[in-house]
Amino acid sequence: MGRRRRRVDEEASARAGAGARTLLDAIATLSRSLPTGPCPEIFRRAKFDRPEAAPALWELLFRLLAPLLADRAAASLGPGAQARWVKAVLCSHGYPRPALAQLPEDGSQGSRELLLAFSWLLARGPLLEWLLAQTCVKLGDQVPTFECEVLASPGLATPQMDAEGPVDLRCLQWLMGKLRFQWQQLICSQEEQCALLSKIHMYTWGCHSDRNLGHLSVTETEMLRDPEGSQQLLQALEQENAQLEAALEWRRYELVFWQWMDTVLGACPSEDPAVPTFQPSISEHGRGKLELVAQELQALKEELQALQELLRKEVLSRRQAWETQIGGLGHGPEWSAARQALQQAVDRELLALRQAWKQGKGPSLPQGPHRLVKIEAGSAEAQGLPVAEVIRALRSQEASLEAVLCRLQGQCRQELARLAGTVPGLIWILPPGR
Amino acid sequence: MAVVTVQLGQCGNQIGFEVFDALFTDSQCSQGFCSKRENEAYQASCTERFFREENGVPIARAVLVDMEPKVINQMLSKAAQPGRWKYDQHARFCQKQGSGNNWAYGYSVHGPKHAESIMNLIQKEVEKCDSLSGFFIIMSIAGGTGSGLGAFLTQHLQDHYSNALKMNQIIWPYGTGEVIVQNYNSILTLSHLYRSSDALLVHENDAVHKICAKLMSTKQISFRDINQVLAHQLGSVFQPTHSAECSFHYRTNPLGDLMEHLVPHPEFKMLGVRTIPQMSETSLPYSTFTWNGLLKRLRQMLISNAKMDEGIDWQVRPPLPKLPPPGKMCLNREQHFNTSLANLLILRGKDVQNANLEGFRDPALYTSWLGPADAFSAWKTPRAFNRYERSAALVSNGQFFVRPLDAVVGKAWNMFASKAYIHQYTKFGIEEEDFLDSFTLLEQVVASYRNLF
Repeated sequence: MGRRRRRVDEEASARAGAGARTLLDAIATLSRSLPTGPCPEIFRRAKFDRPEAAPALWELLFRLLAPLLADRAAASLGPGAQARWVKAVLCSHGYPRPALAQLPEDGSQGSRELLLAFSWLLARGPLLEWLLAQTCVKLGDQVPTFECEVLASPGLATPQMDAEGPVDLRCLQWLMGKLRFQWQQLICSQEEQCALLSKIHMYTWGCHSDRNLGHLSVTETEMLRDPEGSQQLLQALEQENAQLEAALEWRRYELVFWQWMDTVLGACPSEDPAVPTFQPSISEHGRGKLELVAQELQALKEELQALQELLRKEVLSRRQAWETQIGGLGHGPEWSAARQALQQAVDRELLALRQAWKQGKGPSLPQGPHRLVKIEAGSAEAQGLPVAEVIRALRSQEASLEAVLCRLQGQCRQELARLAGTVPGLIWILPPGR
Repeated sequence: MAVVTVQLGQCGNQIGFEVFDALFTDSQCSQGFCSKRENEAYQASCTERFFREENGVPIARAVLVDMEPKVINQMLSKAAQPGRWKYDQHARFCQKQGSGNNWAYGYSVHGPKHAESIMNLIQKEVEKCDSLSGFFIIMSIAGGTGSGLGAFLTQHLQDHYSNALKMNQIIWPYGTGEVIVQNYNSILTLSHLYRSSDALLVHENDAVHKICAKLMSTKQISFRDINQVLAHQLGSVFQPTHSAECSFHYRTNPLGDLMEHLVPHPEFKMLGVRTIPQMSETSLPYSTFTWNGLLKRLRQMLISNAKMDEGIDWQVRPPLPKLPPPGKMCLNREQHFNTSLANLLILRGKDVQNANLEGFRDPALYTSWLGPADAFSAWKTPRAFNRYERSAALVSNGQFFVRPLDAVVGKAWNMFASKAYIHQYTKFGIEEEDFLDSFTLLEQVVASYRNLF
């Protein structure tokens, strides 16, 4: 009964204001342009903070924030872990509302907060464009791009591990060695993939209907081998097309949505401004240390103030002394000529430094994915991004990463040597090999 | 992913041949006790890893190296039988003169002199692989060419192919060997390999000899018999297995997976293999086995450090949990119970999915710092191996070799203390300092293994 009445109310209001219809359209297009977007009704319920809307929104946020993980991890992660993930990632992005962090992780309530978090993400940047690029069906072979950024993005917060006893060093060495082998395996399989890709390109040379491409990609070859797969591909393309269309349409309705969001925000109880933003959780173990650090910081601050005061006085007295000393100098023609020459020298040096910096920075890859296409050397149609350039960019990136690694390893070694030195009677024998 | 085998010296070449022959025979065997499709996938996986095709003939992915031509020529002609597999005629390197059981000669003379030519041959073989998983280097440790040159080449491979894995299959000499300096050669090989190889898969001549005598009922045991047992054991480890519990795909990189499971720690690199059942072809048709029985025996072989399925000491039990580790109990236990750092169990044949592996997941089998979840893994395939309806192989990183290693180091030290035969080594640039380094490293290895509990 209640529901029907609400709907009647809604219809009445829709008739009353032409805006409501467009609002529904706006939410519907938004929902369609999101991968696995929740049904529009969820948004409406979230405005009234209805608990039944919460699970779908947690799911949505999880998928938005962890697109690379989503397929595999969603199955293995329970709703609780998903919620923790969402909170952690939003926190690391600087999401300002503390109410989100206090939501229960069982997904039982808080749909309005989640809707706000979602719209914050939407308002913050090109979310839809980014998502569409992520889920884009790839027909061509991609040029491998830097994945360091992906790796550096915040991972799933590991559960706080306060080890009960001391951890056996051998166990760490074991895990470290495992990592090393996995790394080698990864490199091996990457090399294999490259070799096979090159074979496919060679065998399918001249097969492509597009003259510019010359050969087939893996997806295209797969389609030839397995025609049923092409049905699936077609479906995926149609789905992507629908998403793109919805995203375009969304642009027209966007304003209506944001006006509606203002009313959602207005529906929120006002917050206590005294509550600070996120309180990072600190383990028992860390608390003691933190207090020590705080004390030290305070002491340093005082010291700094004293030093600044001293410096100020010193500068003042020096300046006065200097000004009296140079007194009449600095006005003659010799002086201005010398000054000009100096100025020019500085300008030259600056220019040289700028150029050196530009070169030293190394080539940077143009953004966006590129289709990997083999072209005969010296071909007239050669355009786009030459592989040599990509390789050069990757190499320079590798070199700089390696330098960082070396530096960090050196620091670790020093720290280790320092620690070893503090234990009396310990003889330090490095493990054999590596 | 392909594995390139490097056969070194007389021992390495003879074993290498038997290994390829065993792999080929097994993969071509129609009696796989499984579906046709399964059999085909198994064959394809084996072939891709160890062979490449040339005009329809499988060519072993191997490089043959010896300083004397005799053995290599024998192996090439043996492998040339029609309808089977072959070696690449060009993938061999031999000279006119051996190393005379002098490790220093193999390492310091043959090594630097011939490394470039041998590395070129290896490079050519590597280029014929779509992807290289690693190297399997077969050699003895007590002789001159295989062990000295082998240690030198392994170091070179480490420098040139740092991302490829290196597993050295090494043959431990008879306790009563004929070569007077075998203990010197052994410690030099082992210490050098410990620095450059990822894993040492050890076979003891004494143990394999006993298997031939007791299980295979061989009357007059030749090197060929011994090598065939060895090849059977290696085959049962390296033939394809499924990549996951419910998967029908075969593992693509078994060498990498094996190393990741068993030898990530740089101080523990020595692996031993146990297989069950193992018997002569004539008694095979009259025997049946259950997984339960096989695994129970294999487990006891593991914990009592029995080298074969006979004369197992059934009194040895894993220590009870929560007993204080130091004290008499521990000493007592150390003498009998064999602690494992990590184990890999490989099951092949009928109803593998029903085999109960709980006995190997007992935390009491392992160290306190690495539980069974990390220390134990199992690979399976319903495809039977070498006509055994059911068979199991266990690759173990544990205390198997503490005593033999300790004995070799001790004997070598006694000789070294009286400076016996040292001049034969210093003559070719292996100084006393190198010996001392080897002793230090191996004593550290013995101590590390001994302290596993």
